[in-house]
Amino acid sequence: MAKDTLLSVEDLHLSVSHMPEARILRGVSFDVTRGKTLAIVGESGCGKSVTSLAVMGLLPEGLTKTAGHIRFDGTDLPVTDNEAMRKIRGDRIGMVFQEPMAALNPVYTIGNQVAEVILEHENISRAEARERVIALMREVGLPDPDHIVDEYPHRLSGGQRQRVVIAMALACNPDLLIADEPTTALDVTVQAQIMRLLKGAQAELGVAIVLITHNLGLVAQVADRVAVMYAGRKVEEAETRRLFSAPLHPYTRGLLAATPRPGRRQEGELPLSEIPGMVPSITEDLRGCRFAPRCPLASDICHRVIPEPRMIGATSVACHNTTETEAPA
Amino acid sequence: MMRLILRNWTLSLGLALLALILLMALSAPILYPGDPYAMMGPPLQWPGTYPGAPLGTDSLGRDIAAGIFHGARVSLMVGFVSVACALVVGILVGAFAGYYGGWVDDALMRITELFQTIPQFMLAIVIIAIMGPSIQAVIISLGVVSWPTVARLVRSEFLVLRERAFVHSCIVIGMSDLRIIFAQILPNALSSITVMASVLVATAILMESALSFLGFGDPNVITWGTMIGLGRSQLRDAWYIIAIPGLALLVTALALNLVGEGINDAMNPRLRKRKI
Amino acid sequence: MTARRHRSTFRYIGKRLIHAAFTILGIAVINFLLLQLAPGDAAEALAGEAGTADAEYMESLRRQFGLDRSLIEQLGAFLLRIVTLDFGWSFRHGMSNWDLIMDRLPATLLLMGASILLALIGGIVMGVIAARNVGRLPDRLISVGALLLYATPPFWIGLMMIVLFSVKLGWVPTGGMYDVIGGKTGFAHVLDVMWHLALPVLTQAFFYLAIYTRLVRAGMLEVLNLEYIRVARAKGISENRIAYRHALRNAVLPLLTVVGANIGTFLGGAVLTESIFSWPGIGRLMFDAMMQRDLNLLLSILVLSSIFVVIANLLVDLLYAVINPTVELK
Repeated sequence: MAKDTLLSVEDLHLSVSHMPEARILRGVSFDVTRGKTLAIVGESGCGKSVTSLAVMGLLPEGLTKTAGHIRFDGTDLPVTDNEAMRKIRGDRIGMVFQEPMAALNPVYTIGNQVAEVILEHENISRAEARERVIALMREVGLPDPDHIVDEYPHRLSGGQRQRVVIAMALACNPDLLIADEPTTALDVTVQAQIMRLLKGAQAELGVAIVLITHNLGLVAQVADRVAVMYAGRKVEEAETRRLFSAPLHPYTRGLLAATPRPGRRQEGELPLSEIPGMVPSITEDLRGCRFAPRCPLASDICHRVIPEPRMIGATSVACHNTTETEAPA
Repeated sequence: MMRLILRNWTLSLGLALLALILLMALSAPILYPGDPYAMMGPPLQWPGTYPGAPLGTDSLGRDIAAGIFHGARVSLMVGFVSVACALVVGILVGAFAGYYGGWVDDALMRITELFQTIPQFMLAIVIIAIMGPSIQAVIISLGVVSWPTVARLVRSEFLVLRERAFVHSCIVIGMSDLRIIFAQILPNALSSITVMASVLVATAILMESALSFLGFGDPNVITWGTMIGLGRSQLRDAWYIIAIPGLALLVTALALNLVGEGINDAMNPRLRKRKI
Repeated sequence: MTARRHRSTFRYIGKRLIHAAFTILGIAVINFLLLQLAPGDAAEALAGEAGTADAEYMESLRRQFGLDRSLIEQLGAFLLRIVTLDFGWSFRHGMSNWDLIMDRLPATLLLMGASILLALIGGIVMGVIAARNVGRLPDRLISVGALLLYATPPFWIGLMMIVLFSVKLGWVPTGGMYDVIGGKTGFAHVLDVMWHLALPVLTQAFFYLAIYTRLVRAGMLEVLNLEYIRVARAKGISENRIAYRHALRNAVLPLLTVVGANIGTFLGGAVLTESIFSWPGIGRLMFDAMMQRDLNLLLSILVLSSIFVVIANLLVDLLYAVINPTVELK
């Protein structure tokens, strides 16, 4: 574990508790560097959201971690110990969710809900907390902070509510911010504002960000590194520019080809081509690569042996068919 | 259908209990052909002590078992008939209000609300006071207090259903309003209406027993409520006289509630684990 | 913003008052129509066995109800009497019906208030325990208990409690509101009334306890699955605080409207409870009026109880609007 690594997930396995054959994560590893942004991308159901919930110790009832380590700032995260995790959640790790319209409790004022997280983790007076909240409101770009602090959530727009949620996540100056599809539910213009806000906070506070999304456009703009997940496994990870310019895994290539990129269509590539076939279900145990049934390059070995991640150049990729020669110099 | 009933224990238990009560009601004239008000043995025999009356006798030597069997007839009849009346009125009001909306809805719902504002049990008592104590008066009074619940549920179902595509296509092909309401929309609301009806029957049976208990029911028929009312004076030393008909009421109301809940669970499997 | 909210509050209250007035008018019309259904001469029906049915009394009833005039005029007279709170005279009790009812109202309010409070608190506690242990033993016990209570005739529970707690154990009196012989005063009197209140309140509360338990349980389960609860967890808030501060308030708010809607049923139930326990409220008064065939008194109780429900509903709605910030008063 490198010195500047903040979060390190190693060989994480998750299963449905009463159905151990239903394996949701099948060995996922990645590192998050302090102050940097790692994007985790993949189709819905690939396990990316559940990975973030596992880090938070907030796995929904019925899911259990069956193997793996989650290390945060040099120590193992006590993900199964709710009381211990409580001290970390909201304080050292903040989280932003997908549905800002539903993310705030309708019966308490915004200020009250933001102050709650500060009062939970820091020993300060209500008056001080209120001052902090108003300052936070200003930082996240909410209009008229002195008044909006006493407003109830239903009077705010979706974008404004997401700003409140971000303020809550940043209130205790966390080291890590997990943003699970933070802009999916918002208008396109508001999406850009929210992402600018997150990047600005990162520059100012040095917070590391794990961005979970299926929006590759967003990834290209804000992420330092990208991890691509498919059916419970990480198939490829690289620095953002490298991944976009030289994707190695056939799934990554398919994913990129399925994304509209103005003026960047490569020759012979169909616009918006869809990857044929179906994602294997979580209970389906394949002996080989989980992408093999859909992979245009799949050969005999792909169906027999699970490909382990290996470094090709600066890219980590889990594929039998990728060779050194395909990697850019 | 059968498999569904067996898998759903609420529904199967409810139906089994209900069948039992129904059997009691049907067999009453065969097993106890005489007048249940007639004296048939020594008074105040505890259950199990006098061979002629397994459930004991009351202060006038009447057989409690005979009362329970005959009471089942009255309870079920009053419950089902009064709710049937409430369904006719409630479905008409609710269907028109929900389908037409606008001022029709406003007017009908104001009237419905009005009937829900008046304390139901008090209204039932006053209706009986005016009509005189008879089984018809009891049925009518229970129908009058039950229909607003039906109307409100049917209206809310219609408000949702009338926006569905199949209704629009019926309108497009020029089907008459009455046909759309009764032949197209109403069948889609029937499952919710059935759930509500079974709970309403339970409520009506409990209310009938309360009226009879107070002595406001038909003095010529025996009901479980009447038996409890008559047993009140023996509360100190012969409490079984009121305990037994009360249990009969409890089982009947429980059966109907279980049936309602069971149907509800069967219709919304997603919610099943939230209930018991 | 506050000024705007105040203005809209006044408009809201005004609107609700007009609505309430129309409801009361409707109630009066229904009562009037009920009276028309009475067989034979309405004066005879009204007098019933109450008066000695002498000619003078019948004449006074005819005059009072305007029975010799047209239906419309009769309705007008009926409404006028309600507006002027003139509900007639009860010969049996030797008091005006209005005084009679107002005299009995406090006892009923005490019974009602105590039982609503008990049902609410009990329902919230049980519902929260069940929801927080969903699927486990406490939940199953509470849910089965609620199902049984919901199906049990309340008056029967009352009688059974008399058998157990008064007759067998001798803990509490069988009926009445206070010890007639004791003549207690001050705090001793309050204690005495509470002693007599115990069984009637339990009897009256059990059925609603069952309803509220089920509603709170379902509400809690629904709210605990909402996104803002997940957000609260991500903030590091403890499970206790999440249940009691974040979930409970949202789960209980809708319960308030249910309580409002139940007030009429509570009054109806009071007829039973008060009859069983000889509690001197309007329910007992109604039972007596029924036994004496005093139709005028019965109708007066029905009208006044309905008006009481209208007022109570109005207060509950206003209270709901005050404590629920998401309600924009319109």
